[in-house]
Amino acid sequence: MSERASERARGAEALTWGDPAARTFAGQDSPRVDGPLKVTGRARYTHDVRLPGMLYGAILPCPYPKARPALDLAPARALAGVVAAIELDESRDGGWTTYLGQPIAAVAAKTPELAADAIRAIGVEYELGDWCADRAQALAEGAEPVSSSGNAFVEDAQGDRAAVEAALAACDAVVEATYTMPVQVHACMETHGAVVDYRGGDEAIVYASTQGTNSVPGPAARALGLAAGKVTAIVEHMGGGFGSKLRFGVAGLAACRLAREAGAPVHLMLDRSDEFLCTGNRSGSHQVLKGGATADGKLQALLSTVQNLGGIGRGSHPGHPFIYEPAVSFHQPGYVLTHTDAAVPMRAPGHPQASFAIESMMDELANALRLDPLEFRKQNVSSEVYRRQLDRAAREIGWAEHPNRRGPPAPSVRPEKAVGIGFGLARWGGGGRPGARVTVRIASDGSVTASAGSQDLGTGTRTYLAGIVAEELGLPLAAVEARLGDSRYGPAGASGGSTTTPSLAPAVKDAARRARDAFFAHLAPILGTRAERLRARDGAILAAEDGAKRLGWREACATLAAGEIAVTGEFQAELADSGTHGAQAAKVEVDTLTGEVRVLKMVAVQDCGLAVNTLAARSQIQGGMIGALSYGLLEERVIDPWLGLAMNASFVDYKVAGIKDVAELVAILDDDPRERVIGIGEPPAIPGHAAIANAIFNACGARVRDLPLTPDKVLTALAALG
Amino acid sequence: MSRSPDSKPPRGAGVTRRTFLVGAGVAAGGALGAAPATGLASTRAKQAAEDDLLRLDGPFVVSFRLNGKEVRLPAEPRTTLLSLLRHAADPPLTGTKEGCDRGSCGACTVLLDGQPVYACLTLAGNLFGCEVTTVEGLGTPEELSTVQEAFWKHDALMCGFCTPGFVVAVTACLNENPAAGAEEIRSACAGNICRCGTYPQIVAAALAAGARMQEGRR
Repeated sequence: MSERASERARGAEALTWGDPAARTFAGQDSPRVDGPLKVTGRARYTHDVRLPGMLYGAILPCPYPKARPALDLAPARALAGVVAAIELDESRDGGWTTYLGQPIAAVAAKTPELAADAIRAIGVEYELGDWCADRAQALAEGAEPVSSSGNAFVEDAQGDRAAVEAALAACDAVVEATYTMPVQVHACMETHGAVVDYRGGDEAIVYASTQGTNSVPGPAARALGLAAGKVTAIVEHMGGGFGSKLRFGVAGLAACRLAREAGAPVHLMLDRSDEFLCTGNRSGSHQVLKGGATADGKLQALLSTVQNLGGIGRGSHPGHPFIYEPAVSFHQPGYVLTHTDAAVPMRAPGHPQASFAIESMMDELANALRLDPLEFRKQNVSSEVYRRQLDRAAREIGWAEHPNRRGPPAPSVRPEKAVGIGFGLARWGGGGRPGARVTVRIASDGSVTASAGSQDLGTGTRTYLAGIVAEELGLPLAAVEARLGDSRYGPAGASGGSTTTPSLAPAVKDAARRARDAFFAHLAPILGTRAERLRARDGAILAAEDGAKRLGWREACATLAAGEIAVTGEFQAELADSGTHGAQAAKVEVDTLTGEVRVLKMVAVQDCGLAVNTLAARSQIQGGMIGALSYGLLEERVIDPWLGLAMNASFVDYKVAGIKDVAELVAILDDDPRERVIGIGEPPAIPGHAAIANAIFNACGARVRDLPLTPDKVLTALAALG
Repeated sequence: MSRSPDSKPPRGAGVTRRTFLVGAGVAAGGALGAAPATGLASTRAKQAAEDDLLRLDGPFVVSFRLNGKEVRLPAEPRTTLLSLLRHAADPPLTGTKEGCDRGSCGACTVLLDGQPVYACLTLAGNLFGCEVTTVEGLGTPEELSTVQEAFWKHDALMCGFCTPGFVVAVTACLNENPAAGAEEIRSACAGNICRCGTYPQIVAAALAAGARMQEGRR
C-alpha cells in the first residue's frame, strides 16, 4: 500500500472514476457480458457440472423439530448402484436433532433416481422429543429448553425508558401495537449444493453454488480430511443466494463426506423440499412498538421491544428507532429460540422486519393526528435526501392527485374496489473494504483478461470486471475477458451486505490503471514520447500532442514480445463510499368484498453513489421491490406446531410472487453527487411490503399488522371497522 | 411434427402400449392434471389410448427428435424428460434447469411438438416420435434467437437460472402470436418463477421480440 501511495505522490494522477462525459462504461447501461451464455442455456451452474465417474448424492432430513433417530442404512446400501450411505450425526446433541429438517443421513448412487431410492430405503425409527416449533410453544410455561440457557433472551437495552414514558404522557397521539412477521425462505432457484471432485489422493476441486468462492476451500478441506490449501473452489455461475449461500453449508459438507467415503466425485444438490428446511431463512419477528407524536407532527417518543424468531439462531434486527428520529427512545432487543432451522442473512438482514413495524406505526400516528402521512414522514427524518426522494416517489405515484391524503374513506362511502397509496423508507450502510485482489493481463496477441476470486450472483460482477478494464484501456467491452469464481484467482470477500461492488470495483479500477500505466511506460519509448502523454482511446494508444504517434491496440500489444503485462490491483478507499437512502411508494387496489389486494404500481427512488452499470442497478432495484411485494403479500413458512411437520416445503404450497403479481414498477436511480461506488443489493428490498401495508390502510382503513397481508386478514380488519 | 401412431417401440423392451399408459397415468396422473402446460400430453395420451398402448415395465430405449436430431436414449418407466436431457443425453443438455422437479417452478420448460411443457412432468415413455426443442436448440451465444437477444438486451436475467425456462415459454407464446400483448405474455409465463425479480424486464423483452418477429413476417 505504501509503495503505491508514494507512486501516486510522485505525480501520477489521483485515482477517480474519471470525467463522466469521457466514460464509456461506468455510470451507463450495459447488457451483461454473460447474457448470451445465460439466455442460451450454456452458462454452467454447479447443478450442471458433469464429471467422469460422478455419483449423485441426496440427504435425508429429520421431519420433526426434535427427535432421536435410529437409522438402518443396510437396505440403502444393498441397492444396486448405491455406493455410499452415511449417517450425519456431527451436529446432534446426544443423538437428538436440534431443528426440523436437520440432515441425518446422506447417500451417493450412480443416478439421481437411485439416490432417491436409497433415501427411501433407509429405515428410521424416530424417538420423538418435546419440542418448541413456534414462539408460543417456546414461551409457554414448562417449555422444552432449546438451549441450555432457555428459550427467551433479552439483550442490552438502549435509551432512557423513564424519559420515554414521560414524553409519551405529553403526546397528542400515542399508538401502541404489535407487529408480527413469519419466517420467509430464500428459495433460490438453484438449490444449495456442491460437486466435489475427489478421487482419493490429497487434492480436490469443489464446485459450489455459493456467495463466497473463497469461503469454500477451508471447510471443504476439513470435511475431506485434506490439508488446507489443497482444495480449489469453482463457482462459474450461481443460481441465486440472497444471503443463504454465504457459508459452505450442510449440503456441501455432506457431499465432501460422501466423496471421501466413496473415493469418487459426488454431485449433491438439495431437492426443493430439503431446500426449504435446512438452508437458512429470514427470521420471523415479533415487535411491540409504542410511539407518540404531538399535533404539530413531531415524533416525540418511541418505545420498542423486539423478539427475533430465528429458530436455533438469533435472527437479526437493526434496532429501533429505524430511520425516523424521535426526540427520545428506548429499545429492548431480544430473541426467542425454537427447534427450527437457524435464520441466516437474507437481503438486508433484519431491516425489512424493522421497516414493517416502524412504517406501519408512523402511518398509524399520522392517521391518529389526521396528518398527511407523507408530510409526517418528511418532518421526522433529518436527511434532506429522504425528503427529496419521498417527494419524487410521491410525484411518480400520483400522491398529489390522490383523494385519501388525510386518511381512508369512512366505511359508509368506501368503494367496493378501494385504491390506496403508501410509503416507506430504506437505509443501508454497506460500503467497500480491503481484501480483494484483481489481476489484469495484457498479452502480446492483444487479448486482455481480468480475474478475481469473487463471484457473480446475478448482480453483474462479471460485467463490470470487464467493463471497468475496457474503459481504462480504451477498448470495447467485448475485448476484455472477465474471469471469476475460482479460488486460485486470489482473495475476495463473500458477497453479502451489498459490499461486493464497492469492494471489488475499486480494485478493478486500480488494476486496470496500473496495467495501463505499465503499458504506457513500455510504449513511450517506442512511440517517442513520455508515458504521461499517452492516452488509450477507441482501440488505440496515442500521444496527446501528436495524433501521428499512434498504435492500434493489436500493434501495440505485438510489441510485448518479451512477455505479457500482468499487474494486480487492490481496494482503493477513495473510489468507494457507504450509506444509501431510498424511498418507495406503492399503489394498491383492495377488493373490499374478498379482501384481495392487487399492487397496481410501485415506485422506488434509490441512491447508490456511482452505479457502475445502471442497467444492472435498476434490475437490482426492481428485484428488491418484487422480493418485498412477495414477502408482504404471499410468503410464510408454515410448521404445524403440534405435529411438528413442515406444511409448505414446496413451490406448490409456499407462494412466491409470479409474473402476474407484478404490475407497473418504476425504478429510479436517484441523482447522487457522490462519484464513488456503493452497493445496491440490499436497500431496495427493505420497505416495499411496508408501503403496501400502508397503501391497504390508505385505501380502505384496514390496518393489518401481521405479514403476509392475506385476504382473510384484510377482511377481518375491515369487519372490525363496522 | 405430427406424432406417428406407428412409431416403433424399442426392440426387446417387452412392451405393449396399452398397459404402459395405464401405468403412466397412475404415476403421473396428478402431475399431468396440475400443469396447464401439459394439455397436449394428456390429449396425446388419450388419443394413443384409443389406438394401441405401450407397456414399459423395465429399462427401455426411447427414440425422439431432440433439437432437430434423432436420438435414442436409455430410460426407465419413471424417467422424466428432464432427467433424460440432463443425465442421459450425450453430451448432457444442462440448459434445461431443475428448479423443483415437481412441476411448480417452470425452470425446465421445453417445447414438445412446439408446445411448452414442464420437462420434469413429461415421462420418457411419452416421447416416442416426438420433437423436443430445448433452450440450446433455439440459438447459440454467437447466434442468438430473437427472443434470446431481447432477453439479453433488456436485462431480463440476473442469476440466470430460471432464464432458459422463461426464454422457452416466451418463444412458445410468440411463435403462436408475435403480437401478444403484456397480459398474454404474463399468462404464458405464469408457470415460471424468477426469484431475482426480473418479471418487468421479461415482459419488456417479450414485447420487443414480438415486434421484431412481426417485422420479420411482413
